[in-house]
Amino acid sequence: MKSFGYSILVFLCLLTAASCEKDDICVEGNTPLMVIEFFDVNNRETLKNVTALRVVGEGQTVTVNTVTDRTNLNTITIPLKTASDTTGFLLISNSASNDDGFEIGNIDTVRFNYTRLEDFKSRACGFIVNYEELNGLFETDTDNWIQDIEIMQSKISNSDSTHVKIFH
Amino acid sequence: MLKYFISLTLILSMVTVLAQSKPIDTQPKDTVVYQQAFGIRVGLDLSRIIMSSLDDNYTGLELVADYRLTEDLFLAAELGNEDKTRQEDLYEFNTSGSYIKVGVDRNTYANWYGERNLIFYGGRLGFSTFNNTINNYQIFDTNRYWNPEGFATGSETPEEISGRTATWIEAVLGTKVELLPNIYLGASIRLGFLFTDANEGRFPILYVPGFNKVTWDSKFGVGYNYSISYFLPLYKKKNKVKKVAEEEIVE
Repeated sequence: MKSFGYSILVFLCLLTAASCEKDDICVEGNTPLMVIEFFDVNNRETLKNVTALRVVGEGQTVTVNTVTDRTNLNTITIPLKTASDTTGFLLISNSASNDDGFEIGNIDTVRFNYTRLEDFKSRACGFIVNYEELNGLFETDTDNWIQDIEIMQSKISNSDSTHVKIFH
Repeated sequence: MLKYFISLTLILSMVTVLAQSKPIDTQPKDTVVYQQAFGIRVGLDLSRIIMSSLDDNYTGLELVADYRLTEDLFLAAELGNEDKTRQEDLYEFNTSGSYIKVGVDRNTYANWYGERNLIFYGGRLGFSTFNNTINNYQIFDTNRYWNPEGFATGSETPEEISGRTATWIEAVLGTKVELLPNIYLGASIRLGFLFTDANEGRFPILYVPGFNKVTWDSKFGVGYNYSISYFLPLYKKKNKVKKVAEEEIVE
């Protein structure tokens, strides 16, 4: 009877331990952001700041929330669409507004195409998206500040390293 | 009279001897032997029936049965079917399937004369086959730039993942009380350990019929049941005399 008492105790301890769960908060993963670095076109190994950079998503009226607006930057981390296979951005260098509120900076449009790969992370997170087969193009106009785009990693599963190099 | 005295004494002493030939038994043996009833007990899990009527997203039924092997050992089994839809933060999924659990229970309760109650512990081997349906899901993304209103929709069309199986073992602790003759009310709690890898494939196993919820990154699960069952006596057998008691008598 004594050993039975012990077995009940062990059983209840296990039961308590088993019912502890961390299922309610998503900590296991997130849809990654794309990392772009800006390099000097004449010296392709050197990072070069874009002066007063502004990044606006194509079709959006507000600037991308992960980039500090109109600052000199050589690295930006921006979100891609999770519901579409193409995401466009307006990258504006020397961004400023005139007296009427119009943008007077140099606007270049960049589009990224990719395939989306859904990944179930955990009970709390559910599905996230990773991107594969990434490629990027910029629209040529009369006055491009962007000279070249190079894809460093065609698969985006985290935001730890550079995926895209832009030369200017 | 005196001349007969010696012969009279002799006769009387003979009578005395005759009277003592049958000794008085001060500890008579009880000839009424208490016999234990052996048989099969079948019933239903009440909790699953009640949950089915209360919860729109759940239907379940469980049959319970046990067969008495020895005085305190029972062969036990549960057979059931469950259908459960669960809405998580970003997805809704359904699990539907059947399960069987087979094992033994050991009664530890020392019944008084005539009582037939149980406080038991036991083990089960469980097996389930089921289908999952992802009814809809959204994509988790902490960056809200492209979807300020809510998470982007992943899919609205139900996607079925069929032919899934799971195997587990279970430790059981429970009781069965005879309320009316041969009618038992029982309750048990179960701690399960899942053998099957829950994270295989596109959608992991988050719920197993019979096993209950599969906790993330854990192999353990908990369950319970409340059963009402009928005991069908098949034959009767005398209580076995304990060996220890026999040795004591010999000494």
